[in-house]
Amino acid sequence: MPKRKLDPLPSAAFQILLSLVDEDLHGYGIMRHVADQTDGRMRLGPGTLYSSIQTLLEEKFIEEVGQREDTKLGHERRRYYRLTPTGRKLARSEAQRLADLLRVARAKKILRGDYV
Amino acid sequence: MSEKIYAWLLRLYPSHFREAYGDEALQLFRDRARDEKGFFPSLRLWLDLLSDLAISVLREYRYVQPELIGASAQQRLDGMPSFYVLRNESPRPGALLFGGVLSLAALVTLSIFLSHAGNYTGQETAASGQPQGHSGVLQQQGLQSKHQDAAGAMHRAMGEDVKLDAATRQRVIAGNYAGQEATASGQPQGHSGVPQQQAPQSKHQDAASATRRAAGKDTKLDAAARQRVIAKAVEYLKQYYIDAEVAQQTADALLTHEKNGDDNAATDSAAFAELLTRQMNDASHDKQLIMVYQTVKLPEEPPGPAPEEIAQFRRELKRNNCTFEKVGVLPHNIGYLKLNSFPPPRVCQAKAAAAMASLNGADAIIFDLRDNHGGAADMVALLATYLFDHPTHLNDFYDRGENSTEQLWTRPPVPGNKLADKPAYVLISATSFSAAEGFSYDLKMLQRATIVGETTSGRSHRGVPHRIDDHFMILVPGMKVINPISKTNWEGAGVEPDVKVKATDALETAEKLAQGKLQKK
Repeated sequence: MPKRKLDPLPSAAFQILLSLVDEDLHGYGIMRHVADQTDGRMRLGPGTLYSSIQTLLEEKFIEEVGQREDTKLGHERRRYYRLTPTGRKLARSEAQRLADLLRVARAKKILRGDYV
Repeated sequence: MSEKIYAWLLRLYPSHFREAYGDEALQLFRDRARDEKGFFPSLRLWLDLLSDLAISVLREYRYVQPELIGASAQQRLDGMPSFYVLRNESPRPGALLFGGVLSLAALVTLSIFLSHAGNYTGQETAASGQPQGHSGVLQQQGLQSKHQDAAGAMHRAMGEDVKLDAATRQRVIAGNYAGQEATASGQPQGHSGVPQQQAPQSKHQDAASATRRAAGKDTKLDAAARQRVIAKAVEYLKQYYIDAEVAQQTADALLTHEKNGDDNAATDSAAFAELLTRQMNDASHDKQLIMVYQTVKLPEEPPGPAPEEIAQFRRELKRNNCTFEKVGVLPHNIGYLKLNSFPPPRVCQAKAAAAMASLNGADAIIFDLRDNHGGAADMVALLATYLFDHPTHLNDFYDRGENSTEQLWTRPPVPGNKLADKPAYVLISATSFSAAEGFSYDLKMLQRATIVGETTSGRSHRGVPHRIDDHFMILVPGMKVINPISKTNWEGAGVEPDVKVKATDALETAEKLAQGKLQKK
C-alpha cells in the first residue's frame, strides 16, 4: 500500500486518535466516541472510518489488540484498536498546532466570548 | 433487507478493502441500524452512508493505482526479469456508472432534504441532526462546542486534565484556555459550564436533540428576565471582581444601559449575553469579564473531577515525564531544563527533584519555558527554590471575594543544592502562559535570572464562572497576582525579556550570555 499522507492530519484521523486516548475501542465504539466528542457533528461512515483506521495502522499510530466480544452489543467478536505512543505524540502535536491556531484567532479577536 | 442493500453497495469498494474491512463495515451498519431506529435516524443513517460511500470509494481507488506502479518498480530493482500477475483492481464500468448515479442521487436527496428542513423551526432541524445554521443561539452553541472540542482535545491529548485540590486550584495562575479554566472551576474535561452528556451512548442523539428542543424554548427573554440576569451580574461583580472601583463602574454601566432601554431590543438570550459582555468590556476594559449563555442547562453545583479522571491525569503526567521535555548539560557545563508546564508537585515533586539534582553540578542553568503553558504555582515555587539560599517571597495572590491574600514563597533551601549562586536564564516566547509568565516575572523582579526571548502573552488573571440561572453564567476575574516588588503584575503587558530576541534564537543567545559570564569569572 502506498503511504497515505497524514500530513496534514485529516480531522477524521485526529478524532479517531482522540477517541482512543482513554481506552481501546472497536470500530463502532470509535464512531460513537467521535460523534460524542464532536457533539454529533462528525459521524464517521464505515468507508471513512476503516480507511482512516487502515492508514493509521500502516503508520503505526494505532495498533490492533485482538478480537473480543462487546457484551453490550451482542456476541459478535470485534477487532479492538489501541493508540500507540507515536500516535499519542501525533495527537499531541496536532492539538498543539490547533492551540497555536486558536491563539492566533484569539489575538485577531474573531472569537465571540473570548473565554477559551 | 437494508443490510442486503448495504452489503451490495460495499461491492463498490476495491477488493483489498472489502477483504480487510467488509465484515466490520457491515457490522457497523448493523450496530447503527439497531441503535438508530425511527424515520429521521434511519434517513440520517442512509444519508451518512451514501455520502461516506461517495467520498471513500473514490479515495480507496485513488490509493490502489499507485500501489500497482509502486509494486512493479520495486520488483524491477532486483534485476531479475520476471512476470507478475497483478489483480485487476479497476472497477467494472457498470460499477463506476452505478457509483456515479448513486452519488448524484445522494447529493440531490441531501440538497432537497436540507432545503426542506430549512423551512422547519429549530426543533425539527435539531431532531434531524443538523444543528448548524439556525437561530443565533444554536450557532453560538456550535461555536462554543467547537472551542470546547478543541480545548478538550488539546487538553486530553497533552495530559493536562489538571485536577487540582481546592488550595492548589486557588493558586493556579491565569489559564488561557478553557481546559484550564474549566478545571480550575472544578469541571472535568474542558467542557466549561456544560454538563457532561450522561445519557447512555445509544440514546445520545435523542438526548442531545431533546436538550436542544428544550433549550430552544428558553432563548426568548422579556424585560423581567433581563432584569433578573442584570441584578445577579451586578451582585457577582461587586462581590468578586478583583477591583472594587472598576466593579462599581461596570455595575453602574450595566444598570444605566438597562435604565436607558439599551437592552430592550435583545429578546434573544445569546444576543443579550453578548450585549452585556460588550457593555462590561467597555466599562472595565477587562476582556475576561464575560456573560455566557448556554443552551444546555448549567449544573447546580459544578461536578468535581471523578477519581478515575484524577488517575488518568496522573498516568498522563507519568507518561509524558511530567512535561519535563529535556533535562541535560550543554557544552561549557551549562544546565538546561525544558519544561512545558508546571505540573502539581503532588504528582511530580520527585520528577522535579530528580531533574534539578541532575543539574546540580552545572555552572549556569537555563530554564526553557518557550512552550510552557502554565500550571500550578506550587511547582513555580518548588523550582525557584533551587535558585535561592533562603526562603524567598515570590508573589501574592489576592482574592477579592474572600478579601484574603495568600503569599507564595520558595521552600526552605534544598540540602546540598549548589545552584543558588549560579547564573540563571529563563527563555520565554509570545506563547509562554500564566505560570510560565509568573516564574519569569518573579525571577526578573528579584533580579535572580536573565530573561531571554519574546514578550509573553500577558495573562495573570482569569474569569471564574458564577452561575446566574439554568442558562446564564458570568465569568468574573476574582483573583489577581501582586508581585511584592513591582506591586503589580504582567496582566495585559506580558513579561518583558531582559534580552529581546526571537524565541527561536533564545537558546543560542542565552548560551552565549552564560558562556560570556562564566569566562569573566
